[in-house]
Amino acid sequence: MQTKKITYKRASQASFFMLFRVMSYLVVGILFCIIGFIAIRGIGVINWEFLTSAPKDGMTKGGIFPAIVGTFYLVIGSMLVAFPIGVMSGIYMNEYATNKHITSVIRVMTNNLGGIPSIVFGLFGMSLFVNKLHFGDSILAGSLTLGLLALPLIIRVTEEALKAIPDTYRQGSLALGATKLRTIRSVVLPAAFPNVMTGLILSIGRVSGETAPILFTCAAYFLPHLPTSIFDQVMALPYHLYVIATSGTDLEATRPMAYGTALVLIVIVLIMNLLANVIRRKFSK
Amino acid sequence: MKLEAKNVNFYYGDFHALKDINMNIESNSVTAFIGPSGCGKSTFLRLFNRMNDLIEDTHLEGECFVGGQNIYDKSVSVDELRTTVGMVFQKPNPFPKSIFENVAYGLRVNGISDKKIITETVEKSLKQAALWEEVKDKLKKSAYELSGGQQQRLCIARALAISPSVLLMDEPASALDPISTSKIEELIFQLKTDYTVVIVTHNMQQAARVSDKTGFFMLGDLIEFNDTKKIFLNPDKEQTQNYITGRFG
Repeated sequence: MQTKKITYKRASQASFFMLFRVMSYLVVGILFCIIGFIAIRGIGVINWEFLTSAPKDGMTKGGIFPAIVGTFYLVIGSMLVAFPIGVMSGIYMNEYATNKHITSVIRVMTNNLGGIPSIVFGLFGMSLFVNKLHFGDSILAGSLTLGLLALPLIIRVTEEALKAIPDTYRQGSLALGATKLRTIRSVVLPAAFPNVMTGLILSIGRVSGETAPILFTCAAYFLPHLPTSIFDQVMALPYHLYVIATSGTDLEATRPMAYGTALVLIVIVLIMNLLANVIRRKFSK
Repeated sequence: MKLEAKNVNFYYGDFHALKDINMNIESNSVTAFIGPSGCGKSTFLRLFNRMNDLIEDTHLEGECFVGGQNIYDKSVSVDELRTTVGMVFQKPNPFPKSIFENVAYGLRVNGISDKKIITETVEKSLKQAALWEEVKDKLKKSAYELSGGQQQRLCIARALAISPSVLLMDEPASALDPISTSKIEELIFQLKTDYTVVIVTHNMQQAARVSDKTGFFMLGDLIEFNDTKKIFLNPDKEQTQNYITGRFG
């Protein structure tokens, strides 16, 4: 009787442990399937020309260079918008705001902003930046829209990064006659820097893959030249992928190019995420 | 510099943490505050560099003077006060910077940028804190590579670098081993030639060893304040006698 009970206990322990393990391996498995699927189909078209030349012959030939450059511009632009605003509001939330009600309202709003579907950001960006402010379909309008999208993530990451800095650092600095601003600038922010950078890079990953917010605000179907000012339209990787996957003249022929574009996009995002990890590890030593 | 508290009452919200405290602390002396946990001794200490300002929902009645100046007067700049009244905390709290930068920090934030002055002051302060010999070859290393006792001496050096007149120490040796503790005590003893030192401690032998005067706090009251010898050998109050002989606390 006694031994039976123990055997049963052990068996249920083992089977649940197995279940948890299978579930977590499953996640990794799915990721590898997706990457593998795209890599196998896309790797064939990737060569130097694909990465460095513009699309040709109604996008059935040529490369994706303008889209890579466009995505690069949009990432830089959106980070120029979101990073200062996000970091400053994060600092305000954690270091300055004393009224708990106000901070909790701001926090709830920030989280809600983060939960808004990205297509809504796109529509909002179109009506405000493109139409109302007359920026037109442009890098500027696209960057602002993507910046808004990235804002909640950056605010939250900054706030968490600052929260993790022990108060004893702040007290030590203040006790030496440093002002609050100086304490934040010279002690708190440098210590929080690795985690803030991690948030920045993760949001770059997010922004570079978004299609909906740029659809109505800046993305061009096809541009023969690279943009020359922030009021120009751009091509971008996610939108280009959508275009050649759905609206080409010969979809079957361009399918490998679509996978190639997807592969480039995934690799960029993966590199960003790896970079975030490297930075976090390096500085947290 | 002399310290003085006049009719000081201090509240955390509704909690009456310090009850009508009056005290005069002579310059160039070591004064120890003892008493059971929660008696208000750390709160009282932190009044003199206004660190209690950082805690929300607190308020003070009465007056605190440093060198004759009421430090809670509106005209007083808190940042400047803290360059005159330095502080060492219970747990060593070096910044995540190099040993050198930890000591130089106080100089930099107070507007000193001359490299020569900074280098000299860092060396002088580390010598004063009896740490120089141990760290002189690794000033660029992170402060967190030091042992706990060394970190605490680094924090003392950091506080001394901006040449305050008063040094407040909130249980500076409570997290340290006996050897580090005796080093810190030796240091405190030497510091009183140049500084007014006030130390909060749970260790009564420590209070007896290092201080000239001792204040005994209980439940927010200053029960007795007198020469350390008198407090430990022949206290006036029974409560003091009981605490010192370990009957409670």
